Amino acid sequence: MSSKVIERPTDITVPATSLWAKLPVIAGGVGALGTLATIGMMFGEHKERAFFSYLFAYMTVLSVALGSLIFVLIQHVARAGWSAVVRRIAENSAATLPLFVLLFLPILLGFGHLYPWSHESDKILEAKRWWLGADLGNHSMAKFVLRAAIFFAVWVGLSYVLRKRSTAQDALVEDKEKRNTVTLSLWSLSAGGIFLYALSQSFAAVDWLMSLQPHWYSTIFGVYYFAGSMVGFYSFLALAAMALQKGGMLKTAITTEHFHDIGKFMFGHTVFWAYITFSQFMLIWYANIPEETEYFMVRMEGGWDKLSLAMPLIHFFIPFLFLVSRHVKRSRVGLAIGAIWLITVHTLDIFWIVIPNAGAHHGPPAGAAHGAAGEAVAAVGHAPHLSVALTDVTAFIGIVGLFLAAFAFLMKKNAVVCIGDPRLDESLAHENF
Amino acid sequence: MGAIATSNNPTLPQDPNVRGDVILPDPVEGRELLVRGNLTFHQVTEMVVAVNEAPLLKTPAPFVFGLLLAASLMAMFVGYVMWLFWEGPGVWGNNNPVGWAWDIVNFVFWVGIGHAGTLISAILYLFRQKWRTSVNRYAEAMTIFAVVCAGSCVVLHTGRIWLDYWLFPIPNQMGLWVNFRSPLEWDVFAVNTYFTVSLLFWYTGLVPDFATLRDRAKTRWRLLFYGTLSLGWRGSMRHWVTYEKAYQLLAAFSMPLVLSVHTIVSFDFAVSQLAGWHTTIFPPYFVAGAVFGGFAMVQNLIIPARAWLGLKDLVTVRHIENMNKIILLTGSLVGYAYGMEFFVAAYSGNEYEGFTFINRAFGPYWWSYWIMIGCNVAAPQLFWFKKLRTNLTLSWIVAAFVNVGMWFERFVITITSLHRDSLVSSWDYFVPQTEWFFLIGTFGLFFTLFLLFIRFFPVIAIAEVKSVMPEADPHFGEDHGHGHHDAATAGGH
Repeated sequence: MSSKVIERPTDITVPATSLWAKLPVIAGGVGALGTLATIGMMFGEHKERAFFSYLFAYMTVLSVALGSLIFVLIQHVARAGWSAVVRRIAENSAATLPLFVLLFLPILLGFGHLYPWSHESDKILEAKRWWLGADLGNHSMAKFVLRAAIFFAVWVGLSYVLRKRSTAQDALVEDKEKRNTVTLSLWSLSAGGIFLYALSQSFAAVDWLMSLQPHWYSTIFGVYYFAGSMVGFYSFLALAAMALQKGGMLKTAITTEHFHDIGKFMFGHTVFWAYITFSQFMLIWYANIPEETEYFMVRMEGGWDKLSLAMPLIHFFIPFLFLVSRHVKRSRVGLAIGAIWLITVHTLDIFWIVIPNAGAHHGPPAGAAHGAAGEAVAAVGHAPHLSVALTDVTAFIGIVGLFLAAFAFLMKKNAVVCIGDPRLDESLAHENF
Repeated sequence: MGAIATSNNPTLPQDPNVRGDVILPDPVEGRELLVRGNLTFHQVTEMVVAVNEAPLLKTPAPFVFGLLLAASLMAMFVGYVMWLFWEGPGVWGNNNPVGWAWDIVNFVFWVGIGHAGTLISAILYLFRQKWRTSVNRYAEAMTIFAVVCAGSCVVLHTGRIWLDYWLFPIPNQMGLWVNFRSPLEWDVFAVNTYFTVSLLFWYTGLVPDFATLRDRAKTRWRLLFYGTLSLGWRGSMRHWVTYEKAYQLLAAFSMPLVLSVHTIVSFDFAVSQLAGWHTTIFPPYFVAGAVFGGFAMVQNLIIPARAWLGLKDLVTVRHIENMNKIILLTGSLVGYAYGMEFFVAAYSGNEYEGFTFINRAFGPYWWSYWIMIGCNVAAPQLFWFKKLRTNLTLSWIVAAFVNVGMWFERFVITITSLHRDSLVSSWDYFVPQTEWFFLIGTFGLFFTLFLLFIRFFPVIAIAEVKSVMPEADPHFGEDHGHGHHDAATAGGH
């Protein structure tokens, strides 16, 4: 509660000499290379794995962009004061979502390889046709595409308006009435936006990840993907804010207090992820119903068991004990280590969700479906042995590169902080106590 | 403090019965002052303790009437429980296949209500929601009493209640142990821990306020009563430092407890293999529902109380609006869970899952399902509109609907899943016998405790409210310099 003098930041544009200015070209080049190489390999010998690698990389990076979107929505709805200095970062990373529409096309290309329900049939899959679509024979993916179009419309629409109005506000520093109107309009937009987001994000997780194992179902799955995405996003936010300062921007505006708060959210969402993941695992393990245990059984063999058993340790206990300390969260080095660690384990988590399905043998072949539900699900698939394929690396580098390029490109276009935000002063003065 | 904190406060009317109800525009720049009427610290104290310091014989008649009503319901409850002991749980409608009914419904209902208290005191504290200081004492008291009611439901539903101590793992010559693999046993530990920590948290916050009452005491019994409760508090710097540390630690301990208790309550159902009970979203869904129901109960209690006790300057319409927003959020979260359950039941292609949910909505208990949806999902949607969520009468009515809806949610989960299980020949229609007395009786217990709390304990956390007032700022009253922005961190929604 001190009365220290707060100065509005002036280092708010990307300096032409900084790495940030070159990032769109560098990351864009590397990203395009990685993505094209992966797409190339989708026509090669290991094309099936290439599609799964691509989906894994796509869902990992998408989770950060989606996390950015919900972060911005929440900040507006909660009228958050602390976050005004870092909100532009998230506005820009959310505004990369149109890129993901384009990047979705290879997934459609691999539709038949990725999703067993596109070409298999048994009694359970037939009972799911009303939602999944894709009748056997004509490989119709109309419903799948239609739903994806709805999800993208929500995400792209929201992220576009949030960024557009916020950057327009930058010019309204002097016009108090107008800039306050902008903030109020974003506030009401965000309240509804959260609801649309919650539904679209959940069903996207069902469509794109849960249906990889089409017999399996879990009501918490949408929340599970959300929890992971928040871990990824807050870690990204911490690193991006540090990188901005390294690049000569917002040197005094973003303080230890803001990093401390971001660190608290990283910590909190790590716990939240563990809570959701444990709830899903524990209930399925305890009830031990074959329809559900299938998901964990394929991940308890062929090397995946080691990753499965390591997950609680690397994705919960280690970051929990590390980030629980105030000193770590308030130290740049400590927080950076925590953020890199969390992004890594979050990536592993999505890897663990997607890759065991690559080349897995699902259920009995189409002709052998005998009707009885029990028989069909009894035939649990087997995952390929845990390994990292070349395409996993190329796809990941590719999509991360394109995402960073788009992100840096957007950062360059406007001020890197919401300079017209009425709550900027409060954010600049923010203190934990 | 200065400009940022006050820039949105236009002049308010002088009448303290009116100005707390004035709806102010949503602040964009700066934060609205949390306490209205430019009160001094002393005025705040006077305002809160007025009801505690009224002489016993001058207790207002409506209060005495309310207490007598609640106490007679509680007396009825005691009589009912004696009869229950004598006859056994056969006095309930429980039978095959519905072997677990209102007893567990009441338990989950009351435990859920408790959660808002912990959420307000712990989670809103950690999220720096300073408006919580005006409502946290109430909500914490509600938590304690709700858990007492929940505990009574569980303790009484075991049948041979004289053997209830078997719930604890006590070494015995028979070598018999409780079933540690049962979530019912986890409940024993979870609820006890929750009750203990909530009680400590509540009491810790009360100590400085008890000391205030002690220092103002004019009669011998007051001096002894509040003197004992205030544990020798003198308000020294050292006391405050210790107090703040203890408070923050208890808040941090309470935060996982908010989640763990209702998570374990959800496990009571979800670890089974029964369609309608076994679903992975249960833990977060139960927690959201608990917070939802708890906030509704806070609204039901605080909207009348702030008017009767003359606390409108401290609990303003902004506080009510904020809580309504939480009700809208958590109500929509439970709506999401209902929807997701229904969707996945259909998506799964599992005919038993599908049947259970169709049966819920369109089977013999269809009315309970639609009461649940109407009260929990539809009613809170009114709060999208500022006009409606700042309307105090409507807020109270919606909150009452939510309480009804949340009770029915547990009814729907428990009874509709059981009454038509996989064995068609044992299907039955559950009808309660004497359970109404059980439910009403717990309300008697709850309101007796709550009215006594209002009469004798400070219902607002006096010390905490003062800490978010402008006077608490070390630079209060100083003339601020020009040409720079001063740091404003205290106060605000």
